[in-house]
Amino acid sequence: MRSSSHSPLSRIPAGAWRRTTRATLALAVTVGFATAVSGAAHANTEPSAATAPAAPSIAPATPASATSGVADTPYMGWSSWSMQSSSYPGLNPDGNYSYLTEANVLKQTDALATTLKSAGYDYVNIDAGWWMDNSWTPEYDQYGRQTPDPTRFPDGMKAVADHIHSKGLKAGIYLPVGLEKGAYGGGTVPIYNAPGCTTADIVYPDLRTTNGWDSAYKLNFDNPCAQKFVDSQAQELADWGYDFLKLDGVGPGSGKSGDNYDNVADVAAWNKAIAATGRPIHLEISWSLSIANAADWKQYSNGWRIDTDVECYCGTLVTWENSVNDRWTDAPAWSNKAGPGGWNDLDSLDVGNGQMDGLTNAERQSYMTLWAINKSPLFTGDDLTKLDSYGLSLLTNKEVIAVDQNTSPVARPITPTGDQQVWGTKNADGSYTVALFNLGTSPASVTADWAALGFTGNASVRDLWNKSNLGTYKSKITEALPAHGSRLFTIKPAGAPLTTTSYEAEAADNTLAGNASVAGCDACSGGKKVGNLYLGGKLTFNDITVKKAGIYDIDVAYVSGDPRAMTIYSNNGNGTSVPFPSTGDWGTPQTISVQLALKAGTNTITFDSGTGYGPDIDKIAVPQSS
Amino acid sequence: MNIQRTEAPDSRPGQQPAEIHRPNRRGFLALAAGTGAAVALGGLPAFTASAAPQRPTASPLLSAADAAKNQLWWQAPGSANSMINQGLPVGNGRLSALASNDPSSELLMITDASLWTGGLNDSLTDDGQFPYGRDDFGSLTLLAQLTVAIPDHDLGNVNNYRRTLDLAQGLVGATYDISGVTYQRQIFASRPDDSIVLYFSQHGGGTYTGTITLAGTHSETTTADSAGRYASFGATLGNGLKYGAATTAYSSTGKVLVNGTTITFSGCKDLTVVVSGGTDYAPDSAAGYRNPSVDPQALARTKVLAAARHSANTLLHTHVADFLPLSGQLDIDLGASSAAQRELDTWDRLQARWRDNVPDPELEAAYLQFSRYLMISGSRAGSLPMGLQGGWLDGNDPDWMGDYHTDINIQMNYWATDRVGLSNQFDALTDYCLAQLPDWSDLTQRLFNTPTNRYRNSSGKIAGWTVAISTNPYGGGGWWWHPAGNAWLCLSLFEHYEFTQDRAYLEKIYPLLKGAVQFWEARLITTTVTDASGASREVLINDSDWSPEQGPLDAKGITYAQELVWNLFGNYHTATTELGRDAAYRATIDGLRARLYLPVVSPTSGWLEEWMSPDNLGETTHRHLSPLIGLFPGDRIRPDDSTPKDILAGATALLTARGMTSFGWAQAWRSLCWSRLKDSEKAYQEVVNNLKPSVNGGNGSAQNLFDIYEVSQGDGIFQIESNFGTAAAIIEMLLYSRPGHVELLPALPAAWAAAGSISGVGVRGGFVADLSWKNGKVTQVTLKSVGGSSTTLVCNGSSRQISVRTGQSVTLRNL
Repeated sequence: MRSSSHSPLSRIPAGAWRRTTRATLALAVTVGFATAVSGAAHANTEPSAATAPAAPSIAPATPASATSGVADTPYMGWSSWSMQSSSYPGLNPDGNYSYLTEANVLKQTDALATTLKSAGYDYVNIDAGWWMDNSWTPEYDQYGRQTPDPTRFPDGMKAVADHIHSKGLKAGIYLPVGLEKGAYGGGTVPIYNAPGCTTADIVYPDLRTTNGWDSAYKLNFDNPCAQKFVDSQAQELADWGYDFLKLDGVGPGSGKSGDNYDNVADVAAWNKAIAATGRPIHLEISWSLSIANAADWKQYSNGWRIDTDVECYCGTLVTWENSVNDRWTDAPAWSNKAGPGGWNDLDSLDVGNGQMDGLTNAERQSYMTLWAINKSPLFTGDDLTKLDSYGLSLLTNKEVIAVDQNTSPVARPITPTGDQQVWGTKNADGSYTVALFNLGTSPASVTADWAALGFTGNASVRDLWNKSNLGTYKSKITEALPAHGSRLFTIKPAGAPLTTTSYEAEAADNTLAGNASVAGCDACSGGKKVGNLYLGGKLTFNDITVKKAGIYDIDVAYVSGDPRAMTIYSNNGNGTSVPFPSTGDWGTPQTISVQLALKAGTNTITFDSGTGYGPDIDKIAVPQSS
Repeated sequence: MNIQRTEAPDSRPGQQPAEIHRPNRRGFLALAAGTGAAVALGGLPAFTASAAPQRPTASPLLSAADAAKNQLWWQAPGSANSMINQGLPVGNGRLSALASNDPSSELLMITDASLWTGGLNDSLTDDGQFPYGRDDFGSLTLLAQLTVAIPDHDLGNVNNYRRTLDLAQGLVGATYDISGVTYQRQIFASRPDDSIVLYFSQHGGGTYTGTITLAGTHSETTTADSAGRYASFGATLGNGLKYGAATTAYSSTGKVLVNGTTITFSGCKDLTVVVSGGTDYAPDSAAGYRNPSVDPQALARTKVLAAARHSANTLLHTHVADFLPLSGQLDIDLGASSAAQRELDTWDRLQARWRDNVPDPELEAAYLQFSRYLMISGSRAGSLPMGLQGGWLDGNDPDWMGDYHTDINIQMNYWATDRVGLSNQFDALTDYCLAQLPDWSDLTQRLFNTPTNRYRNSSGKIAGWTVAISTNPYGGGGWWWHPAGNAWLCLSLFEHYEFTQDRAYLEKIYPLLKGAVQFWEARLITTTVTDASGASREVLINDSDWSPEQGPLDAKGITYAQELVWNLFGNYHTATTELGRDAAYRATIDGLRARLYLPVVSPTSGWLEEWMSPDNLGETTHRHLSPLIGLFPGDRIRPDDSTPKDILAGATALLTARGMTSFGWAQAWRSLCWSRLKDSEKAYQEVVNNLKPSVNGGNGSAQNLFDIYEVSQGDGIFQIESNFGTAAAIIEMLLYSRPGHVELLPALPAAWAAAGSISGVGVRGGFVADLSWKNGKVTQVTLKSVGGSSTTLVCNGSSRQISVRTGQSVTLRNL
């Protein structure tokens, strides 16, 4: 079960699923700072190739997990939930979510082995409901642990795992976080392998509830019995032979916040319990995890769902609007959180059958492109026995899978100008992985400018989806993209790094208007930034000097804890409202590129919050020649 | 002003220069001059059988380099769901289409200018006004949709896509690469072949495989005839209008098969598709606006099969030989754009122009040429004139029926026509008014004085004709009566005479002028006003009326009507004098004109009054500039000694109060008024405002440069008069004329001042002007007479008298 609005204890599965509202902190203002710092650095000259916007280094992952080797790269496989959640004809004949049966899992296992395994897909993940009957009534063993529904899984969970393993694949399973209410048994249920512990000992006396559905009592780890309970669950999964656990409803996240929904201790307990089993088990947590706790998730888990369910809970598996396309906005905040041992999970990749997926071919390609450049786990929720040829070609494209699995950093938006976006990352060999997206409803051209990537001159372009070398392009590449379409390129520069002149936002000769003010920012250039750019707050760089008039690709280093927008203009231009993707917090700078005309000589560049709330600005870098 | 011939030693009045000194920046001009005779060909009367076209013996095509100088281009196809913003227009004056240029699915939304529902609509509503629905008044609707599906050419597999609109040759084109093959398509609406042609070619060894589908938009059934090699449909609207369309296709290789309801093709190295269609509409009231001899479906089949007997190249050459002379009649150079600007495609360039507010003179000149392209494509003699969207629709429910709006829009559609060197394109408006006149007269005389009509003549008298705010092609009106609409139409019609000095034309429109005069003679009422001096006098004023489209519904003496009637009576004086007719009646009308009340400045607001009241009875920033109609398009208010200073100040104050920010046509009108006041930067800013990219339906220019008006949040509609009004505004900054008076660079903005030239500009008084300038000063001017003989020429701050015989020209150099 995922972010569906119904309770797992409900006998009548709810009908309409509602998407979790993304928390938007429209009024969030940068952290307080009062002192205007004077005499900041004047414009200094530096080559910027080494600080190209798309080349943040991967933060070292230091999972405390003993599960060495787990999630070295984003996992790949199949999950049952997309088909369980859909009302597509024939999928769930015995009621909502009834697709999940032993027979169906084995059928998909066999199909995975013959279709996608050779491309690297090796996890078969059983999602919510394996311990529920078809009326969604849960079943537990004498120790309060979930036990398989005999109708769904007549041979039990171990037999299924054995079959999966027999195909050379890995087995995944699912649990909600906390002690499910139905397992409480009046507090008297004994905990397995924990003499003296009962369910009353592992929860709080007031039976406070937890998880995304309030379907469980919150575990009280002040009492060692709670860890024993998690240990007993982990041991059982290990005994059955499972290699993967999705722990769902975890907070902060899953639409919840506050002490009762803080499940960091649960995830830590699971990490410890898994280690104690001695079996490497990948621990994936769900859903819409709080980015403020990203360090905890990295420490204790191998992956975290950054967003709500991708499924539409409708007549197809997904739809573009609900909620595939949200992820272009939501992923950037997490870009520097992922790395070996733990990855940003964008949820199921349902691109295998256009009719069942509910997507156009263009949408399917864009969907997988975003997942790949974000290094999301690649697990499909499709019916693997009915992959269409286009879907198979997408899911098995080795070059695209390599983008997901290689060591390059997670890509970020470089020129996120509304619906037409360019994302990119720098690869170890000096090439760039660049994705063009058209999120609009009409065809549109999208241009990747080499200057925005940090180099000039010629570059060779490899089209990964069409598996062809497009030749050499000077300064940029433009392609026509269909509605919701994409292209994915490897671009190898043959020219020189771009030389730029940097201008610090905090420089004394800039003009600040409204509430705009200088603030400290350890990670920012010069240790400072300009913030409070809201409701009329304005920052003007006064002496931007170029030798030649032209249209310049200007790098803007900024900090923004949520996605924001601000109007940028040069001289007396009308400007353009530039979307700034989230940088994840208010201390981490990232860079985007914007185009503005500059005249020969001195120019002004203004960041104007207008009637909205803009990001903080660290610095800008202007190419020394156009 | 004194005539100062001595200051211009190089001026040779009356002498024909040895050569035509036109800027040669655009090569097609020379060709245009050579093939100009084609322009003289008469128009096709509606949709009828036509004589075999004259085929050029040599290729009239421009070189690629010359063609590139007048091309708009894009790097993505249009969406089938957003054709009004992204479709590229073609048209032959009658048959029009928007093309998507999607590699895998070329879509044409095709319109015939006469495919109108509705009729005479002479049963007034209870308030004495006209019904205004799609069944009674009627609406322009689509004729057909043509789709050429090429499934293998999915946009996701395409590289280097480029789409062009060739403004000089009248071609829509697209090229793209797939797996080493370059595919190319060209689409044009041929006037000589009365068809739209789509030509698909390639180099690199590719082929085309797919399906052609012709579909009606009113639930028609298309049938395909394999023996006849065509697919077609025909039907009849509820108002009895018959219509039909047909398509055929052919290739030098591969298979083209007609089966079921479609045409399929496979393995074709090239493919030509021809589509045509039309109606049995006839511009003839007596015949009930029908031509009973026309079977539209059969005629469409005949036309496409006749065209299909020729190669695509032959059809292309025939079309270009027809189009190029027209497009070549005006050349404009407003200065050089930067290399960075030139590198951008048209949509990116439009966005950069707004974002950076850096002038882009070539883009601004291209905007004018695009308007001319629309005029050539949308308005030809013998066809109906352009309404609110011309012939470019994306559905059967165009806003305001896509009709003829007589309180600014149809007039603005034709403000640019003569100015931009396309005088022949004006004929459609003239012919329309003449064809409608019997019904306009009948409706006026039978219905205008209906007791419930709040605009009726309180005298009870009635004569002549007028119109409703909306008109259709069946003699019918829509919405409300518009008493002064006749005078404004006459202003436009008479201006065309001023440009051309064509006496035969003046004879032709004389019944319209006289009928409008008679209407006003019957309508004007007397009242007594007190002048500033305290003296009272009796004046003639308009009866109860509405200043378009604001304020009280029953205001007497509105400035809009007073100015228009003053203009009408003046033009009537000129016309009768010129034609030697109706001298006695002229004297009567002269007498009325002398007693006409003219507006004064409000002592409270300082504005020229709109309602014969010192009070502001409407919206301060209203879109219409009706009370300033004497400033533009009229000439009564001028920034010289002929206009009392207080009137000029009041007009300026009113224009200032209206504000700079409105939308398309309203901004174009503002620009024209600021030009007349010689405020070049305000005039230019309003042009720039219309170049603002329209995003999500917002006001401004769409990707295809159609002007978009935001009806409501996210909902933008096309208003073609804004494109033409903006073109007129560009010209009016460079040249002001009225009969006997020409002024060069009256409002040249700094953005274009460095250097530039324009040739082929129409001049009221019967001339065509070519001029060049540098550093804001005219360096050379040629005036060619097309009927004018003498004029005052004001340039670089001095004034001189020019005389020249018809057909000859005079050039002034070293100015």
